[in-house]
Amino acid sequence: MIDVENLVKKYSDGVLALKGISFNASERVTSIIGRNGAGKTTLLRILSTQLMPTSGSVTIKGIDIIRNPDDIRNKIVSIPQEASPIGVLTAFEQVKLYLVGRRFSYSEATREANRSLNEIGLGEFKNTPTDTLSGGMKRKVFVAMALASNAEIVFLDEPTTGLDPLSRMEVWSAIRQIDSHIILTTHYMEEAQELSDEVFLMDSGSIMDKGTVGSLLKKFDGMARAETTAPCSDCIRVSNTYIRYIQKNKVQEYVEKGFTVKNVTLDDLFISRGVSLES
Amino acid sequence: MNPKFTLLLAWYYGIRTISRGPSYIIAALSTPLALLFLVYVLSNGALVRYALVGGFIAIVASVALQSSGDAAFFRLQLRIQDLYVASSVSPSDYMIGLTLSYLMFSLPGIILYGILGAIYHLFSLFAVLMLILVLALLVLSTSSISFIISSSIKHIRNIWGIAGILSVLMTILPPTYYPYESIKRIFLYLLSITPVTPAAVVAQYSFGLSPAMPAELYVLMGETALFFTMARYLTRWREK
Repeated sequence: MIDVENLVKKYSDGVLALKGISFNASERVTSIIGRNGAGKTTLLRILSTQLMPTSGSVTIKGIDIIRNPDDIRNKIVSIPQEASPIGVLTAFEQVKLYLVGRRFSYSEATREANRSLNEIGLGEFKNTPTDTLSGGMKRKVFVAMALASNAEIVFLDEPTTGLDPLSRMEVWSAIRQIDSHIILTTHYMEEAQELSDEVFLMDSGSIMDKGTVGSLLKKFDGMARAETTAPCSDCIRVSNTYIRYIQKNKVQEYVEKGFTVKNVTLDDLFISRGVSLES
Repeated sequence: MNPKFTLLLAWYYGIRTISRGPSYIIAALSTPLALLFLVYVLSNGALVRYALVGGFIAIVASVALQSSGDAAFFRLQLRIQDLYVASSVSPSDYMIGLTLSYLMFSLPGIILYGILGAIYHLFSLFAVLMLILVLALLVLSTSSISFIISSSIKHIRNIWGIAGILSVLMTILPPTYYPYESIKRIFLYLLSITPVTPAAVVAQYSFGLSPAMPAELYVLMGETALFFTMARYLTRWREK
């Protein structure tokens, strides 16, 4: 569905945001995870025709989107990072306006805006100016746009950044209602685990690894993460925390040593990068 | 072109916004009305007709220039422009929609000036038709300037200062509130770099207040075409 070949983006200030990445994404929900500054947003902005790359090629559903962006724009929706609705307009007005922009008729746009807002639980607030809505509700207005648009591919750039845990879960629930292919970026590993069929790990403008959540975590089979604040040799230091990966049969031993033991998550792919695991 | 989108944007962001926050109208009207009052007092009423004709132009130009603030806010803060870039909305649809929204903000002022103009017996058929033409060209040219500026700035706080300076340079310095013959030709030519100057000259002639200067109509048309074309190509839509 999405084929990327040797994609490079160098900004005018000299920052090399993408270092010649190549991949193919075809699962229904693909997450691109990485730390801040990894190049996720740059990649998503190029894929959704908002930004020109320096070099490389991108084809989506067979369309060369670098040369022919207009041919793909009616098939995609892209919700920018930290996008916020126009405060004086209501949720209904924003969704309807967006749909009319996508060449829905007024009556279709009215019907679909009402349907999508009701479906994601904003029906009660649809006629309220959005500056009075909570952060989670504002984000759900954009999800309603994506839901109503019937686009083939939806790009979501860090859809839950800055939201409290409850609002995040509400947005996840709304995202699950979108039937389209979804490409989302996040630095919340939990979010990628919750929503994705396939995960790309990005770091410093490159793709480090890809796979399903299960396959990426395979190297941690039978292992757990032990953490302590006391310095220990051969531990990975993350700020004031010292981490060691242990076999699950040694959990009790480590607890007695004063470690806190946790289940392995996608976070550990970054923490353990380049570090050999305890056998 | 997607006229349904531009009209709906104008309806929502123009009319609905006014109905939800009438302070926008007061803000748009405050400077032209204050200057009208000042001209009336300082000239003992002698220049009030000039100020009334200039008021139409000043309202439209200053509101269009203020739109640069919103356009920059939408792009940099709300990220709404990015949302529309990745859709079937064209930059022209977006630009014309926002321009029409701001024209809605100008309408109450135009109506008020229309009433004042009627009280002073300013209008003839020729004057009204010329005013409509001049204001239409002015909306297009000043909005284009707004979009060029709003899309070139990188930090939102810069736009407020730039818009304020431009509003003074483009609505107060040009002969909007005084007869254009009052300044030396060289200054008039220099000020003609802003579309407001030829608009004011043409309007003053059309209302029988000043002698004709036909070249200024062509200057206004030429500048409108130039700024609109520049906006089409210089406004950042897909970023590089």
